[in-house]
Amino acid sequence: MSENMKQNYLNHPKGIMSWLLTLDHKRIGLMYLVSGILFFFLGGLLALVMRFELAAPGNDIISNEIYNNAYTLHGAIMIFLFIIPAIPGALGNILLPLMVGAKDVAFPRLNLASFYIYSFGALFALYTIINGGVDTGWTFYTPYSTQSSSNVVPMTLGIFIIGFSSILTGLNFIATVHKMRIPGLTWYKLPLFVWALYGTSLVQITATPVLAITMVLLMLERFLGIGIFDPALGGDPVLYQHFFWFYSHPAVYIMILPAFGIISEIIPVHSRKKIWGYKFIAYSTLSIAFIGFLVWGHHMFTSGQSVFSQIVFSFITYFVGIPTGVKIFSWILTMYKGQVSFTPPMFYALAFLFLFTIGGLTGIFLGAVALDIHLHDTYFVVAHFHYVMQGGTIVAFLGGLHHWWPKSFGVMYNQTIANIAALGVFIGFNGTFFPQFLLGLRGMPRRYATYDEQFVELHSYSTFWSGILGISIFIAVMNLFWSFIKRNKVDPGSNPWGGMTLEWTHTSSPPHPHNFEEEPVLQHGPYDYDKVIVQKTYKK
Amino acid sequence: MSEHHITPLRTYLIIAASLLFLSGVTVWVSYIDLGSFNIVLAMFVATVKASLVAFFFMHLLWDDKKNLIMFLMSLMFFGIFVTITMLDTAFRGDLGLNPETKDPINKRAAFYDTLPLTDTHGHPVDEHSGKHDEDKDHH
Repeated sequence: MSENMKQNYLNHPKGIMSWLLTLDHKRIGLMYLVSGILFFFLGGLLALVMRFELAAPGNDIISNEIYNNAYTLHGAIMIFLFIIPAIPGALGNILLPLMVGAKDVAFPRLNLASFYIYSFGALFALYTIINGGVDTGWTFYTPYSTQSSSNVVPMTLGIFIIGFSSILTGLNFIATVHKMRIPGLTWYKLPLFVWALYGTSLVQITATPVLAITMVLLMLERFLGIGIFDPALGGDPVLYQHFFWFYSHPAVYIMILPAFGIISEIIPVHSRKKIWGYKFIAYSTLSIAFIGFLVWGHHMFTSGQSVFSQIVFSFITYFVGIPTGVKIFSWILTMYKGQVSFTPPMFYALAFLFLFTIGGLTGIFLGAVALDIHLHDTYFVVAHFHYVMQGGTIVAFLGGLHHWWPKSFGVMYNQTIANIAALGVFIGFNGTFFPQFLLGLRGMPRRYATYDEQFVELHSYSTFWSGILGISIFIAVMNLFWSFIKRNKVDPGSNPWGGMTLEWTHTSSPPHPHNFEEEPVLQHGPYDYDKVIVQKTYKK
Repeated sequence: MSEHHITPLRTYLIIAASLLFLSGVTVWVSYIDLGSFNIVLAMFVATVKASLVAFFFMHLLWDDKKNLIMFLMSLMFFGIFVTITMLDTAFRGDLGLNPETKDPINKRAAFYDTLPLTDTHGHPVDEHSGKHDEDKDHH
C-alpha cells in the first residue's frame, strides 16, 4: 500500500473545522447522509407511534390532536427532510463527481452552502416539533392552513428555506454534468445514475421555485389578508392545490428518479451483464421529468376542479406509465441470462422491482377519475404512495447504500445480516402496506386516529408487520454503521462487486481527498460486460 | 463562453429607454378598461421587459445557447402552469350535463332528466326550468 493510498477523504485533513468548512463533495455528502438518516429515524418513529395507535380502535396511546400532529410531521419530515435531500444530497454528492471523473462538483462552495441552508431549514422544522407541532397534513391545504393555530408558519418557512438548498444542489449537478466530465466521457457513456441525477436536477430547478412562491402566497394571505386562496377575500382555495401540486407532483419524480438511477447501476453490476436499452433508460428519465409537469391535477379529482381538466389530467397521467414501463422491462431484460449474484444490493434491487411495480400500477388505478373519486383520501392512496416512496425510493436508497458502502467508506458490512435485514424489509413492508390497499377499498379514510370495528383485523395485521419493518430497517442501518465502527476494512484497491464505472476502476476505497491521483483515462463504457472482464476483488 | 461580449453603450441606452417606455405603457393601459384582458396585457408587457433585461443587460443573447434554452424552458413551464390552471377555472362547475353544450355519454341515464338545466357556469337556465319541472312530475 503506497503512502498516497493511506490518505483518504475521511482521515485527511483532520479536525472538526476541516469538516464544518469542507469543500469536499464526499464529506458534504456524508454530512447529508448522517442528517438524512437521523430524520429518517425521527419520521419512522412517528410512523410507528401512529401504527400502534391504530392497532385497535379508539384513542389508546395518543389523542386525536397528537395524531394529527404525528401524521403531518411524519409526512413533512420524510418528504422534505429525508427523501428529497437524501439521495441527491448524500449519494449524489458522493458519487456524481467520481462518476464523471471530476475532482469535485462545479461549485464546491455553493455545495457547502446548500448543506447549511438545508440545516438552517431543518432547524425550523425541529422548532416546530418542540413548539407543539403542526396539524394541517404535509400538504398544508387552504383554507385550514391559513386558520390553524398550530405552527404552520415555522414549518412552511422551513420548507421554503430547504427549497433553496434543493435548487442550488440541482444547479450544481447540472453544471457538473455539463462542464466537468473527463475527455471522452460523452453523454451516452455516462453511468445511468448520472442521467438520473441530471433529470432530477432539472426538475429541482424548474419546480422548486413554485413551492417557494406557494409558501410566500400562503404567508401573504395569513399575515396581510391579501385574498389569494380565501374566497371571502376574493381568492380561490383550489388555486392553492394547483400551486402546491405543480411543485409536489414533479417532486414525486425528484424522489423517484434518483432511485431509478441507483437500480440502473445495481442491476447490471450484480448481473454482470450490459444494461439493456441504455438510451431508452436515459431518455425515459428525461421524459418522466417532463411528463411529471403535466399531471399535477390528478391529485385534485375531488377538489371541485372542472370536469374538463379532470379528463385532460387523467389522460396525460397514463403517459407516465410508458417511460416507467420502459425502465422496468429494461431492468428485467438486463438480468435475463446474466450472472445474477444475490448480494445485499441486488436483494434490494429485486425488492424494488416488485414493490415499485405494485406502487406504479396502483397509480394507474388512481389516475382513472371514476375510480379515484371513490378511492381518494382512503388507505388505498396511503398504500399506493408508500409502495412508491418507501418500497421504491427508500428500498433503492438502502440498496445504493449497500452497493457503494465499501466504496464510500472503505469498510465491508456483514453480508449475511444485510441479506436477512433486506428480507425483513421486504416482508415487513408488504405485511404493513398490502392490508392498507384492502382497507382503502373497504372505505377506511386516511388521517383518522380511530375506526370502525370492521377494520380491526386488517389494521392489526398492518401494525404487527410495521414493527417487523421498523426493526429490519434498524438492523440494516446498524449493520452498516457497525462495520464502520468495527473498521472491517477492505483493501483500498478492491472492487467487491466488479463495477465498471470510474468510481470503481480509478479510485481507492475510500477515495483520495482529490478523488483521482491523476486524471482518469476512459477505457470502456459504464456497462461493457460483453467486452471487458472486470475481476471482483475484495480483500480484507 | 470563452470570449466576452462587449455591448456598446448605445445599446444599453436604447434598452433602458425601451424599458421606461414600456413602464409608461403599463401605467397607461391600466386606465383603460379592457376587462380581463387588462391582466393579460400587463403580464405581456412585463414579460417583454424581463426578456429585454435578460437578453441585453444579462447578456443572454450572446451567451451559451444552453442558457437560453433554460430561460425558454422556464417560460414554457410557466405557460403550462397558467394555461392548465385556467382550463380548470374557465370550466369550473361545468359537469358536462347541459344538452346545449355537452352530450351525456348515455342519453338514457336516469339521473340526467332529474337535474335542472344549467349554463356553463352552473347557473339555472330559466326558460327551460318550468318545462323541466313538469317532466319531473311524471316520474
